[in-house]
Amino acid sequence: MSGQAAAGSDPEGGLLALYDRTLPQVYGYLLSRCGNRAEAEDLTAETFFAAVDAVRGDQRVAVSTPWLIGVARHKLVDHWRRRGREERELRAVPTNEAFEDPWDVHLDVLAARRTLERLGPHHRAALTLRYIDGLPVPQVATILDRTVHATEALLVRARAAFRRAYIEHEADDA
Amino acid sequence: MPDPFDDLRTPIVPTEPDPVFAARLRARLERAFTLPKGATVSDLSIDDRQSDADLARQGDVVYASLWVPDVGRAAAFYGAALGWTYGQEDSERSRDVVGAAPHIGMWQTHEAHTLFLCYGVNDIDAAVDRVRDGGGQAGAPTREPYGVVSNCVDDQGVAFALYALDASDPTPRGPLNGSRHGDISYITHYVPDSARTRAFYGEVLGWRFQPGRVEDGWQVEDVAPMSGLAGGAQKAVVVPMYRVDDIAAAVERVRAAGGTSTDPAQQPYAITAECTDDQGTRFYLGQH
Repeated sequence: MSGQAAAGSDPEGGLLALYDRTLPQVYGYLLSRCGNRAEAEDLTAETFFAAVDAVRGDQRVAVSTPWLIGVARHKLVDHWRRRGREERELRAVPTNEAFEDPWDVHLDVLAARRTLERLGPHHRAALTLRYIDGLPVPQVATILDRTVHATEALLVRARAAFRRAYIEHEADDA
Repeated sequence: MPDPFDDLRTPIVPTEPDPVFAARLRARLERAFTLPKGATVSDLSIDDRQSDADLARQGDVVYASLWVPDVGRAAAFYGAALGWTYGQEDSERSRDVVGAAPHIGMWQTHEAHTLFLCYGVNDIDAAVDRVRDGGGQAGAPTREPYGVVSNCVDDQGVAFALYALDASDPTPRGPLNGSRHGDISYITHYVPDSARTRAFYGEVLGWRFQPGRVEDGWQVEDVAPMSGLAGGAQKAVVVPMYRVDDIAAAVERVRAAGGTSTDPAQQPYAITAECTDDQGTRFYLGQH
């Protein structure tokens, strides 16, 4: 029964109890993905407000930890999508030649995280869902609202962009 | 061969957010349930979110006091150089700069030429314990007309103060890089041992650090005003940058008022000049 708040007799008490239990998980998920406290707080608030709307609405949705993480993931992608729109006009068209030769390295986690933060929002979103969250490609495609084929192509470009930025970052550090 | 991208997999690590944020969001969720049935809370959440972002957080500087040997002379210098004006004096040793964000004062002392900083904290008793546990000294919190404060010294001898942020009477958050001419737009902490400073303030204020652009330079993440740390100094000193509208004119005024200034230079974030006042206190000017 833990981690559930159904739109039952006491939706408010149920949701607030769920909030108390799951806040660190929702916030921890968002903070580790977006790397910025202010953004993580905003997205955490949006996630729980979506939960309030859900339990007050007609649909008898069972709000659980996985449900909240799923909403948080959507909020994160929406956030990057908005940023992508804002940045599109500012960014030069990136060169997208893909490295497809094997890349035999062990990624340094901190350096990889900083590299992700420097990528364009659409690349960052695709790599975060696929590799940080470890979701299969069809699920990534659903969240990004793309076809599986388009998502695979996006991932190839995102991997290339990541690899280029990661190598540059290593060169900067050296 | 394994895919290196598989190394990126990151499980969810539960992380406690800022308790003030957590309490405020909980209160907002409770309020959301009082809306009429059928209304959604999205508009409410946007309004509230903006007001939350405007409030001071733990680790922000809520007050800065310029420590100078002669306060009258300093008041005249900064009045001429930056256009500061001063409120009514409540002591011959102090001045209060009108309209600065964050709040700026002056204090006459021969202890050090520095910028004394007062940081917001969520739970001042717990913060006092953290100062003491970290090898610093902290006075028992006292209630002053403007709030509850504790005077402290860090583990390398730098004086600072803690200010209790009060959720029922929130303190507005100052701008990240100042908003008006004469505001503090950046704070640099020069310290002998940056690792010790990072450990101490990381523990006491929850500061987190990103490596900066210079050797042993660190950017403090997400604090207002923006702040950085530079290790390897002979002696600890805090050096403010003041925001100016026209840096060429400001440099002339600094020199005319008896201070020194380098010629302005373009940095990635601003055009800056490095200055001293007529009593040898360091500062920067920044046209952002």
